Amino acid sequence: MLTEEKKKELLEKLKNAVIQYDEDTAKEAAQEALDVGMEANDAIFNGLVSGMQEVGRLFESQEYFVPELLMCADALYAGLDILKPHVKQLDLGIKGSVVIGTVEGDVHDIGKNIVKMMFDVAGFNVYDLGRDVPLDKFVEEQMKTDSDLVCLSAMMTTTMTGMKKVIDDLRAKNPKVKIMIGGAPVSQDIADKWGADGYAKDATNALKDAINMISALKKLKEEAEAGKIDK
Amino acid sequence: MALTSRERVLKLFSGEEADRIPCFSGMGNVTTEGLKTLGYKFAAIHLDAKKMADSAATSYKLFGYECGVLPFDLCVEAEALGCQINVYAHSEDLLYPTIKEKVIHNENEMDIAIPDNFINKGRIPLVCEAIGLMKKDIGNDVAVGSYVLGPFTLAGQIMELNDLLKLSFKKPDKVGKLLDLLSEAIIMTAGEYEKAGVDYITIREMGATSDVLSPRVFKSLIFPYLKKIVEKLMVPAVIHTCGKTNDIVTSMLETGARAISVDQKNDVQESRKKLGKDALLFGNFDPYNVLVTGTPEVVKEAMKKCIDDGVSAVWPGCDIWPTVPAENFKAMMETVKNYRR
Repeated sequence: MLTEEKKKELLEKLKNAVIQYDEDTAKEAAQEALDVGMEANDAIFNGLVSGMQEVGRLFESQEYFVPELLMCADALYAGLDILKPHVKQLDLGIKGSVVIGTVEGDVHDIGKNIVKMMFDVAGFNVYDLGRDVPLDKFVEEQMKTDSDLVCLSAMMTTTMTGMKKVIDDLRAKNPKVKIMIGGAPVSQDIADKWGADGYAKDATNALKDAINMISALKKLKEEAEAGKIDK
Repeated sequence: MALTSRERVLKLFSGEEADRIPCFSGMGNVTTEGLKTLGYKFAAIHLDAKKMADSAATSYKLFGYECGVLPFDLCVEAEALGCQINVYAHSEDLLYPTIKEKVIHNENEMDIAIPDNFINKGRIPLVCEAIGLMKKDIGNDVAVGSYVLGPFTLAGQIMELNDLLKLSFKKPDKVGKLLDLLSEAIIMTAGEYEKAGVDYITIREMGATSDVLSPRVFKSLIFPYLKKIVEKLMVPAVIHTCGKTNDIVTSMLETGARAISVDQKNDVQESRKKLGKDALLFGNFDPYNVLVTGTPEVVKEAMKKCIDDGVSAVWPGCDIWPTVPAENFKAMMETVKNYRR
């Protein structure tokens, strides 16, 4: 029997397992949540993700650094792997698919992986191209998967300029696709100049932005379809 | 009599008075303008000593930049340790070589040894030859420099950065052992560059920025090995770290390095206060968002700000990004020549 009290206790356990980068506890709590009949969705969002939000705060206030962040992400995935097969319905109200990767010449993928994690928990279909991805591959993969969103990452100024080329190519082939860029050298200014729809300062912002973008896109599609019916 | 750029930079390192502060760097300085005059492709200049030396000399020859520095990529030591590199020979874009195949694939493979005959592996001999050629070409006029990676940054080249970062937290002893070994390799590499005739060496420890690692870990895990390297160098050493560095500038200097180099994220006024007036602090303009995409006016203001904030040399926060427009490079040099604090 799942009491409110038990539920609260398990959510807290999931949350703390992520914050304290404790993979074993995350697994244990996730299994326990399923055993007592908690909604997987609830356990993910109010447990694991809520822990990750706190981790984000600790990162911002410089109590945590990248090593801790990576270990917290491992704990989140440990729980997510158990819960995900049991997710009935995600209540974000939006589902989408995303092509993500680090551009050619750049072998840094930590930032990209954190953003990817946020899409994973949100239930997006994620097509991860990895790192050092030839620029044409982004366009190819977007066309193949008909993804709503393409996320480009670059960690170095030296590779950032490759993103502009991908944006131009994507726009030429598929004007409707939403494009988001991120990485240490990227700024809102650069995103605007190069015509990206979004700029992700960090992983949480990336997810929020992505959801907004896809909502806007779906709305456009619906309006277009409604327009057709009127005629 | 006016000093040559070489005299100006050497005086700076030896702590003597000079007519003004120099504008130079210890990191890559090749430009597409320079490559155009030579007719070289970017991908070709990493693999040929003459092309490397010629390319490195162009920023002095075209714009009066007060140094010659080579190589241009960050893979030399990793390659000599057995990594495979990719120079993107197919590409017309400006892609810097990266590591294609690492030598350490997981935690259990961290117990590596420095290969026999290390100093003759990979491109170490090629870089030395290029240093000699560059020195012959422009060494009377400007100081010539080269760089090595810091041990932590080098570790990130030869193993997965993801693993390295987590292990630096979970198993610092194991990481420390690797950094100790890599320090030896770095000392050997730098020793060869010294023999080839460099006037100064920059140790690029970008991986240890406070954007990634806590100042505490910098101090406990990385500092001892940086210190070990600096102690073994004969020529002046400059330690460079990018990103957030205000909390580690004191440690950087305490390694014994002659100078420290920081990028645009550092608050130089604050660093200057911390380090005192005599410490050599190089920096810290944004080589892309100022020098490449700015107007000459923006460049001018950025250089003045560096000087007003108290740098000892106007020096970019990273490699000069090759597509810098000629008028911006000129505006930079003119401003540093004429502006006084």
